[in-house]
Amino acid sequence: MTSTESRMDAALAGTAELRVWDLPVRIMHWSLVIGIGICWWTGLHNELEYHLYSGYAILWIVLMRLYWGLVGSSTARFVNFVRGPKAILDYASTLHRRDTPHTHGHNALGAISIVLMMGLVLAVVILGLFAVDVDGLHSGPLSGYVTFKQGRHLAHLHYYWFTILLWVIALHLAAVIFYFIYKRKNLIGPMISGKRRGDVGDTEMKIAPLWRLAIGAVVATAIVWAVSIGFYF
Amino acid sequence: MAIKIAVLVGSWFHMSALGFRYVAAAACIAFGLVVLESVAGPAEVAQIKSRQDKLRDMGGALKAINDELKKRRIDWDNTVVPNAQTIKDRSGYLLNWFPRGSGPESGVKTYALPAIWQNNDDFVTLGKLAQVEAAKLNQVALSKDANALKAQVEAMGKACKACHDGYRSPDSEKEDEN
Ligand code: HEC
Ligand code: HEM
Repeated sequence: MTSTESRMDAALAGTAELRVWDLPVRIMHWSLVIGIGICWWTGLHNELEYHLYSGYAILWIVLMRLYWGLVGSSTARFVNFVRGPKAILDYASTLHRRDTPHTHGHNALGAISIVLMMGLVLAVVILGLFAVDVDGLHSGPLSGYVTFKQGRHLAHLHYYWFTILLWVIALHLAAVIFYFIYKRKNLIGPMISGKRRGDVGDTEMKIAPLWRLAIGAVVATAIVWAVSIGFYF
Repeated sequence: MAIKIAVLVGSWFHMSALGFRYVAAAACIAFGLVVLESVAGPAEVAQIKSRQDKLRDMGGALKAINDELKKRRIDWDNTVVPNAQTIKDRSGYLLNWFPRGSGPESGVKTYALPAIWQNNDDFVTLGKLAQVEAAKLNQVALSKDANALKAQVEAMGKACKACHDGYRSPDSEKEDEN
């Protein structure tokens, strides 16, 4: 045994691999990343046909994530990570310390950025549904309910709120980098593997059954379909 | 306004009696001022505003037809026919709305790109293609064939897009219109 390995063993004594993010959360997270990237590119390059498809995909994912936030696995649920102002301030006051215990799931500050990002993505998507395109070729599916002028205004707001979303995403990335460099905590690995090293005896994640996800998927698909035809059945 | 400046500047140089060359230089500057002001003069401002209004009418007309398709309840006589007519009429004049000098160099807020005057032949070709599609749209509107309308609205939109992609600055740089 080399000395590095024995030191590793000593450091790992009393720790175990804990499950922290279930598969649906991880898939939803990374597909949101890809989807927002595609919407961004196709939006700026006026490839609106594909922009609308990727926009619908995002709507679907956000609906699923909101649903999973109500009935999903323990770390996915809003009640388990959205905190009040006191808990947030308490957590923020320990931010400069490197020896704080790892929160299992989102910490109190991270929760703010999750809620902000979800809200902004939903706002951007809803504005996009009503947006009118200059070319008159690919307007949002609900643009029939607004006038040309209103729809152009909403297209502008759609872009405006997207730039705000980009800033919040930047903040989210900055926080992840801060945890990696300053706090020596890798948050990216667990969002890929679903597991992190933690103390034996830490509370484990309670996994929700997949059939529950399937019900959500059926409902979300029906909603996105109805939206895509502008509710003109 | 510019004339007044010219007179003032001119007489100042004259009074200081610095010789003919200075007076000539002042005259050149004054002339330059007159030209500069004429570029962003009220006529150009009005022209750019009015072309944007007319383009928005066209956009509104195309949207109105698109909405009928979305609703799958097509009102030919009250919506499709008159709006197709608007698009046809307007696109017939479209190429007259872009005289040289009515680009961003005018200082007026416009999304018309300088490329319009640099590659003017191409711009004119795209304008004429849009006229052809608009004429077809008009015929389809009179034929009252829903499938043909769907196809022609798409062809029309592609003709609008082809010109905007090359000659209009992207919406992300656009300020909200009032
Ligand atoms: C030959 C080129 C060309 C074609 C064809 C064309 N446009 Fe445009 N369009 C422009 C340019 C250039 C501008 C920017 C004008 C400006 O900002 O001064 C513009 C702007 C617009 C605007 C935005 C006006 C505003 O400022 O709010 C609308 C709406 C529009 N066009 C609709 C259409 C529609 C609909 C069609 C097809 C039926 C069409 N255009 C075809 C060149 C074209
Ligand atoms: C998170 C999801 C989305 C992101 C990040 C996004 C981003 C963007 C961006 C960057 C633009 C270009 C802005 C511009 O040039 O003005 C744009 C335009 C547009 N988006 Fe989205 N979008 C999203 C979702 C949607 C959805 C769901 C729809 C509708 C189904 C939609 C409809 C449109 C339309 C119609 C335009 C064109 C507006 C125009 O021509 O000015 N978007 N979007």
